Amino acid sequence: MRYLLILILLLSPIALRAEITSHAEVTFAQLEQISTSPESLDGRFSQEKYLAALDASLLSSGVFSYRRGESIRWETLEPIQNELFMTPTTIVNRQGEQELVRLEKDTNPAVTVLSEIFFSVLTAEWAKLSVYFDLSGQLDGDQWRAELIPVDHSVMQVVSRVELRGDTLLRELILHESGGDRTTIRFDSLSQ
Amino acid sequence: MSKRSFSLQLAAISWLLLVSVVTVLALRQGPLFDSSIMALLPKSDRQPLVQNATEQMAERFSKRLILLLAGANEEKVRTAVGSLAESLTALPETSSVVWRVDDNEIADYQTELFPYRFSVIDTGIRKLSLSGDYKLIKDRALLRLYSPLSVGKSSIIEDPFGLFPALSLNRYGGLNLDVSQSLLKVTGTELPTYMLMVTLAGDPFSPQLQSKILDAVAAKESQLNQSGVTVSMSGMLLHAAAGAQQAKTEISTIGLGSLLGIIITMLLIFRQFKPLILMLFPVAIGCITAAAVTMLIFGRVHLVTFAFGAGLVGVSIDYALHFLCERRVSSSGHILRKILPGLLLGLLSSVIAYAAQALAPFPGLRQMAVFSVVGLSASWLTVVLWFPLLTHRDSKQPLAVADKLDGVRKRFPRIEGNPVLIMLLLITTVVAASSLWNSRSQDDIRLLQTSPTSLLAQEQSVQKTLGISSSSQFLLISADTLEQCLQKEELLIPRLEKLQAAGLLSGYQAVSSVLPSMRRQAENVALMQRLYDQQLTPFYGLLKVSASGYSDARLSLERAEKLRLTPDVWQQQQGSESWKDLIVKNDESAATVIRLSGALDDEVRQKLMAISDTESGVSYIDQVQNISELMGTYRSQIIQWVMMAYLCVLLILLLRYKTQVWRVVMPPLLASVITLAVLVQLEQGINLFHLMALILVLGIGLDMGIFLMETGEAAHTWLAVSLSTYTSLLAFGLLALSDTPVLHHFGLTVLIGLALVWLLAPLMRKDNSGDIHS
Repeated sequence: MRYLLILILLLSPIALRAEITSHAEVTFAQLEQISTSPESLDGRFSQEKYLAALDASLLSSGVFSYRRGESIRWETLEPIQNELFMTPTTIVNRQGEQELVRLEKDTNPAVTVLSEIFFSVLTAEWAKLSVYFDLSGQLDGDQWRAELIPVDHSVMQVVSRVELRGDTLLRELILHESGGDRTTIRFDSLSQ
Repeated sequence: MSKRSFSLQLAAISWLLLVSVVTVLALRQGPLFDSSIMALLPKSDRQPLVQNATEQMAERFSKRLILLLAGANEEKVRTAVGSLAESLTALPETSSVVWRVDDNEIADYQTELFPYRFSVIDTGIRKLSLSGDYKLIKDRALLRLYSPLSVGKSSIIEDPFGLFPALSLNRYGGLNLDVSQSLLKVTGTELPTYMLMVTLAGDPFSPQLQSKILDAVAAKESQLNQSGVTVSMSGMLLHAAAGAQQAKTEISTIGLGSLLGIIITMLLIFRQFKPLILMLFPVAIGCITAAAVTMLIFGRVHLVTFAFGAGLVGVSIDYALHFLCERRVSSSGHILRKILPGLLLGLLSSVIAYAAQALAPFPGLRQMAVFSVVGLSASWLTVVLWFPLLTHRDSKQPLAVADKLDGVRKRFPRIEGNPVLIMLLLITTVVAASSLWNSRSQDDIRLLQTSPTSLLAQEQSVQKTLGISSSSQFLLISADTLEQCLQKEELLIPRLEKLQAAGLLSGYQAVSSVLPSMRRQAENVALMQRLYDQQLTPFYGLLKVSASGYSDARLSLERAEKLRLTPDVWQQQQGSESWKDLIVKNDESAATVIRLSGALDDEVRQKLMAISDTESGVSYIDQVQNISELMGTYRSQIIQWVMMAYLCVLLILLLRYKTQVWRVVMPPLLASVITLAVLVQLEQGINLFHLMALILVLGIGLDMGIFLMETGEAAHTWLAVSLSTYTSLLAFGLLALSDTPVLHHFGLTVLIGLALVWLLAPLMRKDNSGDIHS
């Protein structure tokens, strides 16, 4: 469940203003200050999931769209079709017209926590992330890199490290699992 | 000193010795009070198993104290949890404080079920498997693999279809709690809220335990409130403490008021301290002996017993006052001979009435009967054995007040030869009786509720926030073995799910949902083998898994498929902690409960009762309903037994007083009927507690009639019975002002009833009343 939380935290499209010029260590406060949250964001993503047990990667790609305070639609198009639709109260997994999994806020307390953090992060509240992670990284011109280490041991047992890379917007995310698996997500064709 | 007076002294001293021994024995055991409604439930006509299940749930509830800490600043709340937990853990009065979960525990919790992933499976996966929809399971596994939101840990080889993550996701079900950085965070709240759960080391009704724990919380609370953290609590301890607090407050206001009133009156009338002290002496001995004996017999005294049992004080004071007033006009040598028959009859009438309640199969009534009979007899013995000795040297000193009061009495019209008065009384009685005939009785459980509403509201909000299901409504499943219980549960659950789907039932907790029966586990394994047979090849084909990967996966299934989650293994696991208490019995026979949550309406209750009627070994238990029914049964039982008792009393009195018996019985009888009629109008129905008070009214009323008859309605006897009416009115009538419903009902009845008895008695007097000086 933690894993799910972190992903949602990280997948939130973070728009950063372009005035990052100095080369320096970043802090959550800095990120908070320079980031804005767009009303909406659309784009494409490609995902590479490395499975240590098979020593092989699963590749997939698709599109996503985000509406602040309302929903996130994460649609995998290749090699299988699948849509993940998240609102503050539910997470629905759909394939075509068929609803595969629905997690309701009322019946599943985990979803409650999840959606709580989820939508607050989407309004660029970096402070929320600081509850779960220690941050280190660099600002270099209009490029920035950040590394997040979970402070919570129970989170650490699932996710050992998260790498983020971006310029004006978040461009790449690498999630290292404690078991050796690794998920890399790259964003492109972003439009606000 | 004559031989006779020596033996009297010996008897008096032995009596006090006996009282001291009993009291010391009871004190050594330690005074324990009980205010749990459950303790009043009858044992004999309930199945021992139901009793056991109920008690087990009540026990767990009563020793549990839940604290919720909430505040806008999450860090401050987290710090507060730690510091509060620290101070609570340090107390010897707590046996455990659950507030943080170690990393190892989380790891254990997450992996302890993994070996059983084929025998204990998620209900959704089971449903799909049963309908042969294995392809959908595979498709979902594929989605999970490609989804950015993989849920939980899983291995592509050991658990390719994600059976274990699916299970652990749905196992959350218990409480609305999540582990957040090792602390227990409540989910779904506006403000960050964390939980602490305290298990008490002792009885929640122990005053020391109450003050130690609540003081520790209060000490921290003021400090926490300043940093914006609020504390809300739930637990029996709070209700017990609030009850004790309220009792203390009312004793110190109402109790002190009535005590002062009594002392001042006695001093004004007797103009001496001695009679006052003498009067209180047998009452005190009566109360102490009654409390000690009740405690020795029952282990603890129920607060309700105390409230009503204390009513005997009102009756027992009769004996003392009768003696003291009569002593003013009789010599030391003559007095006992003169008043003993009256005293004996008075005692007999009250003891029979109280003792009759002991025959009813209710622990509460039995306790009250024992308390009252012992208390009355002890007071009576103290008067008869000690008063002659203590008043030995006192001279005769008629009281001026007696004549004045007699004058007042003489101004009352007499009923004999007064057709207008007879008609008036007759009409009143008929009207009263007919209004009683049409009245409804009231057996609401709220009558027993003594806690302040703010506390009840806090309790409810905590329970709702955490999603705790009610412990008062459940299905009890019994069978020879636990395995059979689990199988029976598994048959019942589809029916409960149907009720849930129809919106009738908001939820249920059954142990079989986390610990399936062996039969169910074998079925599950067979289903999962079919899943592997049908879908593993296409699934791995899509992922291009190698042949060795395939054989590893099959090997992993083969190794795990023989494993079963047995009750013994399960009991050792962390995850069983919050489910364990659903198994109420597992030795020579077994029993489990399915707890039902939310408010159940009549429709669903009917359906559950239908299930309980048709299925053997399944019974629907509804404590709320049971308690309301119980109050009704208590009420009708009391009426029956007390009526029978008074019929016996009537027979005895008839033997002694022949045609004059009406003078004795009519005042209390008429007063009772009219009082009940008034109560029906004032309080929307008669309840158990009105009736309990009426026994006191009848007791004092009969004493009044008997004493008056025995002394030929002497002026000093009239003074004695008037005084005893007056003191009881002060002592109990004032309880009508109490905020505790039980005490209020009791007090109001005594107030109206005794006033009526006192007003009616002179109407029935003989013509020749006055003092007969001997």
